[in-house]
Amino acid sequence: MSNESMSILKKDYIYNLMLKGKREDGRTFDEIRNIDIRTNVIDKAEGSAWIKLGDTEILVGVKVQVGTPFPDSAGEGVIITSMELNPIASPDFEAGPPKENAIEMARVADRGIRESGAIDLSKLCITEGEEVWMVFIDIHVLNNCGNIQDAASLGAIAALLTSTVPGGREGRGEDMPMPIRDMPVAITLVDIGGEMMLDPGLDEETACDTRITIISNQDGSISGMQKSGDGALTEEQLLKAVSLACQKASELREAHLLNI
Amino acid sequence: MQTKHWRINMSDKPEKFIDENGLRLDGRRINEIRPMKMEIGVLSRADGSCYLEWGNNKVLAAVYGPRELHPRRLQKADSALIRYRYNMAAFSVEDRIRPGPNRRSIEISKVSREAFEPVVLTHLYPGAVIDVFAEVLQADAGTRTAAINAASLALADAGIPMKGLISACAVGKVDGQLVLDLNKPEDNYGDADIPMAMTSDGEITLLQMDGDITQEEFKKAIEMCKDGCHEILAIQQETLRNKFSKLEDVEISDDKENNDVSALVESELVSSEEDETSEDLASIEKGEMEDDVKDAETEDEVESVEEQEDSFQDVDEEDIPDDNGEDVPEDDEETV
Amino acid sequence: MEREIVIPGQLLSENKTDSGPGTYVKDGKVYSLLYGVKNTKNKISVIPFTGKYIPSPGDYVIATVIGVTPSNWIFNISSPYDGLLHVSEYPRRVESDKMSEIMGVGSSALLRIKDVNSSMKVELSMRDRGLRALDVGRVIEVTPTKIPRIIGHGGSMVSMLKKKTNCDIFVGQNGRIWINGNDAEMDLLNEAIELIMKHSHTSGLTERISKFLKNEDDVVSEKDGTVLEDDLVVDTEDKYEIREETRRKVDTLLDDDN
Repeated sequence: MSNESMSILKKDYIYNLMLKGKREDGRTFDEIRNIDIRTNVIDKAEGSAWIKLGDTEILVGVKVQVGTPFPDSAGEGVIITSMELNPIASPDFEAGPPKENAIEMARVADRGIRESGAIDLSKLCITEGEEVWMVFIDIHVLNNCGNIQDAASLGAIAALLTSTVPGGREGRGEDMPMPIRDMPVAITLVDIGGEMMLDPGLDEETACDTRITIISNQDGSISGMQKSGDGALTEEQLLKAVSLACQKASELREAHLLNI
Repeated sequence: MQTKHWRINMSDKPEKFIDENGLRLDGRRINEIRPMKMEIGVLSRADGSCYLEWGNNKVLAAVYGPRELHPRRLQKADSALIRYRYNMAAFSVEDRIRPGPNRRSIEISKVSREAFEPVVLTHLYPGAVIDVFAEVLQADAGTRTAAINAASLALADAGIPMKGLISACAVGKVDGQLVLDLNKPEDNYGDADIPMAMTSDGEITLLQMDGDITQEEFKKAIEMCKDGCHEILAIQQETLRNKFSKLEDVEISDDKENNDVSALVESELVSSEEDETSEDLASIEKGEMEDDVKDAETEDEVESVEEQEDSFQDVDEEDIPDDNGEDVPEDDEETV
Repeated sequence: MEREIVIPGQLLSENKTDSGPGTYVKDGKVYSLLYGVKNTKNKISVIPFTGKYIPSPGDYVIATVIGVTPSNWIFNISSPYDGLLHVSEYPRRVESDKMSEIMGVGSSALLRIKDVNSSMKVELSMRDRGLRALDVGRVIEVTPTKIPRIIGHGGSMVSMLKKKTNCDIFVGQNGRIWINGNDAEMDLLNEAIELIMKHSHTSGLTERISKFLKNEDDVVSEKDGTVLEDDLVVDTEDKYEIREETRRKVDTLLDDDN
């Protein structure tokens, strides 16, 4: 069933639940759905992760290839993140070039990885000015039940943590693990009638006015933020959200990434 | 910024594809298919879905439909449009593919759609569309046939009425010998590649051929492929039946007049008279179906040509990339 | 009772006169068109596990407005086909520019399908008694194929649900159920409906759900099936919820259960 036009009755229902401190699936406002991650699921990829966040399902593949560096970063590898809101994932997704939602989410995911310095790009240099490793992170959404952003980010980090740089195969030295030095985790909250809820489900995403994503690092610092949607947030809401997001990020990191 | 392509090196070509014991490089006999397993109902949003593993192929098929078709100009007055989109994930092959359709995937999408058109009862849903999506998550030769096998089950899972399931497999030729279900080296270096899709009666709904064979060899290839497709059909059937391991799990509705099903009757026949008994409707329905099938049998050719003409619109204009379809690099390319 | 799972293309009978809904005839034999369960009452038919709602004249539906034109409301009826409610089918006279005030995009309503033509143009009506716009309550979505289970034998299930939960219930053929009551009652009813969906294949379901609603743990054995039938008061006021035709059809087909 398409979620594009949600009925007023449904919106009211979600709003009324909120007034009673409840959510549709029985979670508390700051509860995240069950997470399942499997890595090394795609042989042909240098790294991969299959992640389920509730029923939202995403497959992230990491491909590493030899390429030429950007002129202004001659000794650094290159990260390219792309996301497909694949039409298999939802009746609302159409085949065709990515639309603004997909592009936004991909860029937010990319920013988190890039700005956190999660990948040590200097270690991805083969010959300065001539050859570097290009890391392609391809996010393939398989089933949308809300909060693709967080699932995609978590999947991307999980895939990177278990990726191998194929030096041997490409004849440029030996294989090495992807040089990771941080684990940024994205946490998204939505505003429903003034209340902030973590990890929105599908209906909550459709019913909300505003969405805020905060990407934080191992030391609690922030490497990315994005407010989305046509509503507005107060400063107080924003600061609370940031604090909660950092706390939850470290919980997720501990539960799912440290021992991957 | 450039990526270097991985080229097929002819010096990597195996000396022999079949050893003295009649075993192929992966230990199979010439008429053996790779291990296959499937599961349906794996995606919650899609109306029907199927995940398939065949050798090292990993394919996910999803069906949405029948559903509304936009833009309106694509709508067919008397039947549903079938759209089939074969797509390979960027990370599914050794050499990363740029996301989006390319000429190869567009061609495969077309012939795959045509493989299903003879069996799906599209006339029950005029103006609507049945969308079939086949995502190759990991490729290892035979992806188009794998996709068709998965799509068959996804269509069944979605409750789409079909005369039967479609099964597909490829036959090739290596060391002068016909082999069933090509693996990667056989696909890359072999002398022929013939993918086929069939109905359970052995009627061929997809056929492509690439390479060099004699007419005799082709006849044998069809027989070999039929056997392969029969084996695959059995796996498909088992997958559908085993979804419910015990009768307890079977969820059913007792209403024979299930709305979906009663659509088999042309809408004029479902009158607003509330006196019609189930019995009357059933006999009308049966008569309807018989006529339909009779027509289908005699007018098969005409029908299918008409449908083909109409369905050239299957590819949404947005799907064709602006640079007119960058080809997947020929080397390491999936040709089956 | 034995229920056989069948698949598209499966041979069901050598006798072409056995062909019922969900089957087709080829060379004088009957084959299944669908993945579902074989039903052998009268003819052989196949009931699919899942499927879209295809609109049929006379059906009651619960719909949502997706567009308003100067003379029509366009409704999503949870089907590949949208429905149109012409302003003349609204119970009161309405000015063109007032239409959105009465029902705008996102509004829900109880409607009846007046007509479906061969191009699948669906005409809706709100003129029957009990049909109206919905401002309160909740709409629950289920697979359309399971709606008869919610209605039950002679309307028994839905009547029992109404009585035990004290909620208003309107069952749409299009797989949507509208309920209204206080929050706790609606939560309970929602749970009951989920249970029905889960166990729709079993017999003795009405008592089972009735017991659940009474908060009892025991599952009543099938012998006791008839006992509770006496308890049930079939609400004759509920004509707009279960039309006579459906009631009779459901009766014929639920012989062996409940």
